[in-house]
Amino acid sequence: MEQQAILAIGIFLVIYGFIIAEKIHRTIVAMIGGTLMVVLGIVDQETALHHIDFNTLGLLVGMMIIVGITAETGLFKYIAIVAAKRAKGEPTRILISLALITAVGSAFLDNVTTVLLMVPVTFSITRQLRVNPIPFLITQIIASNVGGTATLIGDPPNIMIGSAVKELSFMDFIINLAPLAVLVMAIYVPIFIFLFRKGIQTTDDLKRGIMEMDESQLITDRTLLRKCLIVLGLTILGFFTHQLLHLESATVALAGAFLLLLLTGEHMMEEAFSKVEWTTIFFFVGLFVLVSGLIETGVIAQLAAQAIELTGGEPVATSMLILWLSAIASAFLDNIPFVATMIPMIQEMGNMGVSNLEPLWWSLALGACLGGNGTLIGASANLIVAGMAGKEGYPIKFVQFLKYGFPLMLLSIVLSSIYVYLRYLI
Amino acid sequence: MLKYEYDHNVIQVNEIENGNDVEFRIHILQEEPYLDGIKKVQKEFEENDVYTDVLFYIYASHEYRVIVRRDYYEDFILELMKQRLLQSVKWSE
Repeated sequence: MEQQAILAIGIFLVIYGFIIAEKIHRTIVAMIGGTLMVVLGIVDQETALHHIDFNTLGLLVGMMIIVGITAETGLFKYIAIVAAKRAKGEPTRILISLALITAVGSAFLDNVTTVLLMVPVTFSITRQLRVNPIPFLITQIIASNVGGTATLIGDPPNIMIGSAVKELSFMDFIINLAPLAVLVMAIYVPIFIFLFRKGIQTTDDLKRGIMEMDESQLITDRTLLRKCLIVLGLTILGFFTHQLLHLESATVALAGAFLLLLLTGEHMMEEAFSKVEWTTIFFFVGLFVLVSGLIETGVIAQLAAQAIELTGGEPVATSMLILWLSAIASAFLDNIPFVATMIPMIQEMGNMGVSNLEPLWWSLALGACLGGNGTLIGASANLIVAGMAGKEGYPIKFVQFLKYGFPLMLLSIVLSSIYVYLRYLI
Repeated sequence: MLKYEYDHNVIQVNEIENGNDVEFRIHILQEEPYLDGIKKVQKEFEENDVYTDVLFYIYASHEYRVIVRRDYYEDFILELMKQRLLQSVKWSE
């Protein structure tokens, strides 16, 4: 192996170790790793820039702006309170309603943004009912990862896969992944009820408090809400048709974001940009450059060759290897850097003669997204909810989450294995 | 402990202790300008970084139920004062 390749592997492993250890913010670590790849001459700056996937970044920025402005209208609080009232203030039914809202929201907004919107309203409802919010938060974490699996924009791994593989459109993700996400959620709902119903009882008086609320007061700006709903609708329509229109998903999201800013006026711009999670954006930038070092030095190609040697390039074995490896890795590591490494490896398998890559992409998406439910550190949404809950005096313990998350994750990956096998491999 | 006074013609305030919280029932009787005032108080606590400090629940006829975490009691009362929903606030033994 060339000296440059050994250096690239060394930098990659050290940086990966720091990301897992979480002693230093992952964005700083990833950016330092990416910078080292350039400074040490493993990739030149021009090549590094070519490896940054601006489609992934544009999609994330666009959606963060749209959702950030829409949240100002009180829409998401309104939806949650309407759902709580329809559930007649019954905690178990509210738990399921909020989980389903989280799943649907995650599919069409992205799961990190959705949990950021759902957690405050969950605290509000559970405090009024005087019930423990932790079962609600755990079910929302799990639902966010299942819902996010269903679409191209639902979960960062899917955004990255959708961006890297131009042949896979928004509709392809829905057609191939949404049926399984719906099935997994349908199986999870009765399990949630069975697991949590006893710990979230309340009184009729407190339920009445929910029923008597005037949800119409929660919409703070109806004119802005109309504009947001029109733009959100157009953007989602744009995602459904982006391949027909020959547009990248980032173009659709950014067009939606700047149309909304045009309609709302300049005064919203500062605030809208402050809603963008720049730390996440730069984390992606650092990772893309970090992985570019492995690609340019031929390390990824060698890994792909070894994977093919291991499975003989046989579709069933290769798909199952990717599915289970992604699930287990994503449960214990951040799934974003894992997927950033796996994408060029699968592309390389295509170059080496594996003809049908489609089952491999869906296996990666299912493994990385659903695998995130395995532990509290498995996905960005998990860490965000745990962080918010801990700050408010409701810490979600690693083992507490593992007890629910890991068996449910294994169940979803068994279902995914059957699904991938029946749908693509026979 | 804080003691406060308000104009009974424009606002009604009832508070009860409930575990680690203090629960308020606030009824705005005079819409102008006090409804805007309570909305500003709500916005102040909803836009800060703490999600469970002061929680607002809105009912018909401008009635609010507000659950205040004990460690935010003073902040809440002073915010009501700032928005002129209270007439006076003073420390009492």
